[in-house]
Amino acid sequence: MTKYIIRRLLGIIPTLFIIVTLSFFIVRIAPGGPFDGERALPEVVKRNIEAKYHLDEPVIQQYGRYLFDVLRGDLGPSYKYKDHDVNYFIAASLPNSIVLGLISMMLALVFGISAGVIAAVKQNTWVDYTAMALAIVGISIPLFVISPIMQYVFAMKLKWFPTSGWFTSGGGWRSVVLPAIALSFSYFADVARLTRSSMLETLRSDYIRTAKAKGMRNSTIIFKHTMKGAMLPIVSYLGPAFAGILTGSVVVEQVFRVPGLGKFFVQSSFNRDYTLIIGVVIVYSVILVIMNFIVDIVYAQLDPRITYK
Amino acid sequence: MNIFKKKVTVATNEFNQVVVGNSLTKDAWRRLKKNKMAVIGMVVVIFYSLIAAFAGLLPIYPYDEIILDHQHLPPSLTKNAGELMRVKKMEDLYAKAWRAGRLVVTEEQDAQLKQWVKDNQNNKVWEFCYAEGEAQRAAGTFAFNSSEQRTIDRLEEKIATELQVTVKHVYWTNPETSKRYDVQKMDYKEMLELYAKMFNVSPQAVEEQTEMEIRAQLLNSIKATAPDFTDEEYAGMVEDELKKLGEKGYDSLASQNIYGKIVTQSRRVVEQELKTIVSDTDTKFPLKETFGVGNDMTAQVEASKKHERRYFLGTDYSGRDMLSRIIYGGQVSIAIGFVGTLTSVLIGIVLGAIAGYVGGKTDYFLMRFVDIMYGLPYMLLVIICMAVFGRNILNLFFALALVSWLTIARMVRGQIMSLKNQEFVEAARSMGASTGRIIFKHLVPNSLSVIIVYSTLRIPAFIMQESFLSFLGLGVQAPYASWGSLVGDAVASMTLYPWKLFFPALAMIIFLFAMNFLGDGLRDAFDPQSKNQL
Amino acid sequence: MNKNKTMPAAAHTENSTDTALLDVKDLKTYFLTDAGIVKAVDGVSFTLHEGETLGLVGESGSGKSVTNLSIMRLIPSPPGKIVGGEIVFEGQDILKLPEKELRKIRGNKVSMIFQDPMTSLNPFLKISTQMVETIMLHNKDVSKKEALERSIEMLKLVGIPSAEKRIFSYPHQFSGGMRQRVMIAMALSCNAKVLIADEPTTALDVTIQAQILELIKDLSVKLKTAVIIITHDLGVVAGMCDKVCVMYAGRIVEKADTDDLYASPSHPYTEGLIMSVPRMDVAHKNDRLFSIEGQPPNVIDLPPCCPFHPRCHKDMEVCRHAYPPTVGVGSGHEVSCWLYVDEAQRNLALEKALADEQHAAADAVQTNARKEAAK
Repeated sequence: MTKYIIRRLLGIIPTLFIIVTLSFFIVRIAPGGPFDGERALPEVVKRNIEAKYHLDEPVIQQYGRYLFDVLRGDLGPSYKYKDHDVNYFIAASLPNSIVLGLISMMLALVFGISAGVIAAVKQNTWVDYTAMALAIVGISIPLFVISPIMQYVFAMKLKWFPTSGWFTSGGGWRSVVLPAIALSFSYFADVARLTRSSMLETLRSDYIRTAKAKGMRNSTIIFKHTMKGAMLPIVSYLGPAFAGILTGSVVVEQVFRVPGLGKFFVQSSFNRDYTLIIGVVIVYSVILVIMNFIVDIVYAQLDPRITYK
Repeated sequence: MNIFKKKVTVATNEFNQVVVGNSLTKDAWRRLKKNKMAVIGMVVVIFYSLIAAFAGLLPIYPYDEIILDHQHLPPSLTKNAGELMRVKKMEDLYAKAWRAGRLVVTEEQDAQLKQWVKDNQNNKVWEFCYAEGEAQRAAGTFAFNSSEQRTIDRLEEKIATELQVTVKHVYWTNPETSKRYDVQKMDYKEMLELYAKMFNVSPQAVEEQTEMEIRAQLLNSIKATAPDFTDEEYAGMVEDELKKLGEKGYDSLASQNIYGKIVTQSRRVVEQELKTIVSDTDTKFPLKETFGVGNDMTAQVEASKKHERRYFLGTDYSGRDMLSRIIYGGQVSIAIGFVGTLTSVLIGIVLGAIAGYVGGKTDYFLMRFVDIMYGLPYMLLVIICMAVFGRNILNLFFALALVSWLTIARMVRGQIMSLKNQEFVEAARSMGASTGRIIFKHLVPNSLSVIIVYSTLRIPAFIMQESFLSFLGLGVQAPYASWGSLVGDAVASMTLYPWKLFFPALAMIIFLFAMNFLGDGLRDAFDPQSKNQL
Repeated sequence: MNKNKTMPAAAHTENSTDTALLDVKDLKTYFLTDAGIVKAVDGVSFTLHEGETLGLVGESGSGKSVTNLSIMRLIPSPPGKIVGGEIVFEGQDILKLPEKELRKIRGNKVSMIFQDPMTSLNPFLKISTQMVETIMLHNKDVSKKEALERSIEMLKLVGIPSAEKRIFSYPHQFSGGMRQRVMIAMALSCNAKVLIADEPTTALDVTIQAQILELIKDLSVKLKTAVIIITHDLGVVAGMCDKVCVMYAGRIVEKADTDDLYASPSHPYTEGLIMSVPRMDVAHKNDRLFSIEGQPPNVIDLPPCCPFHPRCHKDMEVCRHAYPPTVGVGSGHEVSCWLYVDEAQRNLALEKALADEQHAAADAVQTNARKEAAK
């Protein structure tokens, strides 16, 4: 087991290396530099700035320097906000994004799995139809449509929740509700559908028939015999779901004005604040890679058939 | 129904039971037809696709025609633009009158109005003031003062007379042969002469003027792509660019330039002429006529009363018709969805098939790469690409297609791996079929049903990704539209102009619903056993 | 626990005639599918006595498994439905029992082992968990420790080496034969009265097959369990069963004591089956092996006729129009075939069937005409 974990951890390194390299070079081959504003800078000033950010060095040297900095955990200075470096922005906004993402993930899992299990057990009843109709709604309505609509209905018209803000900036717990639900909605739908189909398939399997032939209660069969196997696809879905939630948080943070990382990401991509863009992508990737790692370990724990060789 | 059914003699066995050959596709099609939602979805998808494909033929206003007078008109089935403008103006006047204390309301109402103003719900204030004002005016307790009346009169005049004139073609008739030529198709020199005659100037002056304008145009485009150079350097670059254009290129640029001016001038002449007859009740608008514009030239013109337009779904911040923007936005979204999916599926099939069939090192490295890509937040990579390479449809399309082939490649690989050890492949190989033939004639067709199902489910995802980027402002840029950019534009002002959010969102949701139902239906039809996929 | 109650093999054969343990009467299980009603089991009756071993033989799709799943009421519903008949076990009709009572019978008094031991054990739970839960489910006063001890004892009984350790393994750590042994141990851990073995050896290697069958045979004698063996292998039946039912297209076509059946197969189908078994003890070994031509019928909307007639070399006119009645041809030997019905009756039946058919055809024409008129 330990060996397996170590091997998986080692596998993370090339992934991170590729992401850093890829984003670095995409940005470098871009036409136009970060300081090409509307007004042309005097040559001397420009040269000074380039020297400050080491942009006058050959690309390979810049790349090496950047890799080294990233290894030390320094994501460099922001090109646009001269007073702060990238680490500052990330430290300020990442916790908010993580809270939002985790709450959404929890909501999606808890409600998605419950809905899926109930729908599978009560297959072809109104419960099943309702749950699946809701799920297809969740899948078909994009995040950037559901978010403003929820904001419009629940915050502006019904006034149940604040339209924007965040609990760290005095919005209270109510300010978390709408963004978290909006973000979790489509993942709830995916989890519910996945759970239902996986439960149905497991319920049809031979070993469930054996359990029934042993005279077990339905509830025991569902919770003890079916759930464990049926949860495996959900676990492997968690990786992509995390990626989706990370990406989706960009929209939700935009609409509900959550002071998270996603907002910076969009802003910096408009500003061509390249260090900030790469920094955010690296942070997102690290989170994602760690999540995928955890998911793999959990999967291996759940499925006794997997050997750690 | 029965008319279409051919009478077929069916095969039966000893028990008089019908013996049916089991074709997988036929079977799937039968199952699909039974799935009502999937059939409805298919119909909707076909309907949308047809509308998107033939958007140009539909009788709708151009999606990029800006009429600033028509900013933010609400959707209406009964009222035309002029009436809506009048209502809007009156609302404004009544509200101002209320603020000035001239429109007298009860205390309760006053408090309510103030509350609305405080809550930023100006819509309600306007609505209320309009209703109240109209009532009071009818009852004679309120009247507009002279300056207000003048504003209204001016608006009425404008609504009644303003025309939207579009010049379709300008022709020149040779007075000697009375042969008619389309000016747009003339060459530069001829056009130059016509233009000079039109304005009574020497052709040389026109030529110089045109050259200056072209240089300015070139300079601007160079500055946009390569900023931060000195003026001398820019001058050099312009010369280079001119040289690159050559005589032919230069002439075509110049013709375009002059033609534009000729059209503008023609329009002015026509507008002048039409102004005299617009109040004439005999003239029916919209009209489609040819007018003489002097110097043996005629212009084929379409003219309509600007404010008689109808916007069933309202207008946006530049007075563009939402209906037409939604249709053209749908065209962009659907096209990106279909073409993008097709591209990514093709890439996925080729790479997946190679990895699955060749195996070994190729397979290992391809799949490692796919694994790593899977571990990345690839939408963010797409965002970087958009930020870096510029926000246009083509970049968007490539960026999305490049990251979307992963799943299909994995799937095809799995299919190929399980198929390649089957007997029919052995048989093909033993008969000396080449690798390429085995892959693309035997293996790929056998995994086609899986690919079709996946692709159908992939299209809505693709559309969502495109719209996601456009929503953030990183995708399709104005004047082009996509569903995502329409929603994105509407979000900021959705309390005031909810229709801007509502209609594009609805159009998009219906399509995505239909696509998802169809995809689900196809999957269940092709693969009734395993439903264990997303 | 039961070791001391073991009876000699001869005794239970004599014993078998007194009380009926399980009595299946006219069982009908249909599946409602898109294509039509599949009459998977259509009027099956048989009796199982204490300690007796009954074989159910037939081709795949003949309704053997469905019959036995019906006894446990394990038919997946929908689409399956038991539409008629009675299954009397210890004086109670299983089909009328409430779910709760039924659960007390399942796994306790009637247990089942399935064809594929690879998929029939839950891959996510340890063997110990799966065995202990069965025992504790049906013996409320047994502690977990006792249940575990009993499980180990059962595993030893079915011949699993170092059962004390291996009980804590997961199913995938066992081979196919071992898993089937585990299944048997689990099925018998509550002293079941009836063991239903649904093709217990089909998925196993030939060498393992004999061991498993031997095990079932031994245990049924030792524990005094009645066994229903479902198989398509006549060899298995010959070696193990006291009585045999031959099924074809959802019905029992012949029912007899094993020896009797082999000595004088009456139904042409049974005859064909026996002739198609390769034998080492006869002359003309090099002759071509007999095989029954054709395919079994599709049981959707089967017309009233002998379903075997297209493949039968002795078929008559009446076979094509009416299902044969069941007639006795010796002590406890019953067969459903027109060959054993006297000619007068046959002709009578044929006339009646033809008349019925004409009637039905006329009706159909009428209804069609009415439909046309309605349009």
